[in-house]
Amino acid sequence: MKYLSVVWAVARKDLLVEMRTLERLTAMGAFSVLIGVLFHFSIDTSLIRVQTIAPSLIWMATIFVGMLGLGRIYTIEDENRALSGLLQSPISLDALYFGKVLSNSILLLSIVVLILVVFAVFFNLSFPGGWLGWISLSGVILLGVLSFVSIMTLLSAVAVNNTMGESIIPVLVLPLLVPIVIHTVTATNRIFANRPFAEIEGNLRMLAAIVLIFLVAGASLFRFAIEE
Amino acid sequence: MNRSRMKKISMSFGILGVAAILLLHYMVFFWVPTELSMGIVQRIFYIHVPSWWVAFISFGVVALCSGVYLWLGDDRLDAAAVTAAEGGMIFTTIGLLTGPLWGKIAWGAWWTWEPRLTLALLLWFIYLGYFLVRRSTLNPERGKRLAAVVGIIGVLDIPLIHVSVSWLRSLHPEAVVLNPDGPTLDESMLATLLVGLLAYSLIFVCLFTVRYSTELVDRATQMQDV
Repeated sequence: MKYLSVVWAVARKDLLVEMRTLERLTAMGAFSVLIGVLFHFSIDTSLIRVQTIAPSLIWMATIFVGMLGLGRIYTIEDENRALSGLLQSPISLDALYFGKVLSNSILLLSIVVLILVVFAVFFNLSFPGGWLGWISLSGVILLGVLSFVSIMTLLSAVAVNNTMGESIIPVLVLPLLVPIVIHTVTATNRIFANRPFAEIEGNLRMLAAIVLIFLVAGASLFRFAIEE
Repeated sequence: MNRSRMKKISMSFGILGVAAILLLHYMVFFWVPTELSMGIVQRIFYIHVPSWWVAFISFGVVALCSGVYLWLGDDRLDAAAVTAAEGGMIFTTIGLLTGPLWGKIAWGAWWTWEPRLTLALLLWFIYLGYFLVRRSTLNPERGKRLAAVVGIIGVLDIPLIHVSVSWLRSLHPEAVVLNPDGPTLDESMLATLLVGLLAYSLIFVCLFTVRYSTELVDRATQMQDV
């Protein structure tokens, strides 16, 4: 219980800082809307039916917005030397990692909801009918966001005291995201096409396995990535 | 191990490697028969497959040395990891260049998004990140640790990428040597391939030992300067 309360304390601290400054949330929110606008004008609707590629664009938008916001997880804290204080506090570093994964997942999930609304309005997207469709969509979003955040939370630490700054993060993270993109996009496309649950079950299982592997690897390697 | 002994080892592997490479090229151009369905372009297989063999071994070495480096903190393990990663990059590049040459004639396209090609390309980028992290971190010790983390995560991601991309249809030829029913290759082709694997492995060990010893000298010089 004590471990979980430490995880929650770290997550709560991050969310509180974010709610007071609204720095990342504003940038990510604005970026989500603007990327929806750009995607809309980048597609020739006389050639391509927007609804068929919208689920793919939703995940591309999520990844780009996530890169923008989560790439600054540690640099904000490092600017105020708060990161050093956090590392010197008597908490285990894996609890710190899980706390950051939790807060960033909540942050990105709220942005994904905004992206869905933006795409529904701009692309006239029809959401899946029935409760099973909604549960499946929620499951894919939750697992997709968790897997993305678990790897971003680990590798964003690279940007601290780095001559390339945050520009190094996409080079490191994008190749690792291919399995996540394949399963989230495939599952989301099938959910929007109202296909049976059996067709996305395999994708959900693979996503769950990816989340598990990345979380275990992240918690084990976090101290090597974050310590000076 | 002292420098002169290391030099002797690398020289021995180098001489054997060059001899094996010459033998391989003789076999490829004058000895092995032309494959019936793919024709002369199939001969690139004897260079393409060994380059991937060495690339995957070297990335395994990177992950192993990185993991033990994080555990023990021995600088020699980091030197071995970075040396293996450099070798891996060279042989991955050879594999990526020779694959499309074959693919253009066999498949009619330079590139297809089939599992093994995709994995190869992503591996190249994962290890590009490995080198970028090392060079861009202000604290060199932290750079080594971060590179080790990237090396381990990269290797963990390999099976995930392969399984995920395999969900899409694969065009790549099936395994002809490590096949569950035994090798399906003609004997002379198998012999040429085995010479290729030996030649590339010897060249890799030679390059590894030369580069590893210069890396150690470089680090010792830097320590003296500090």
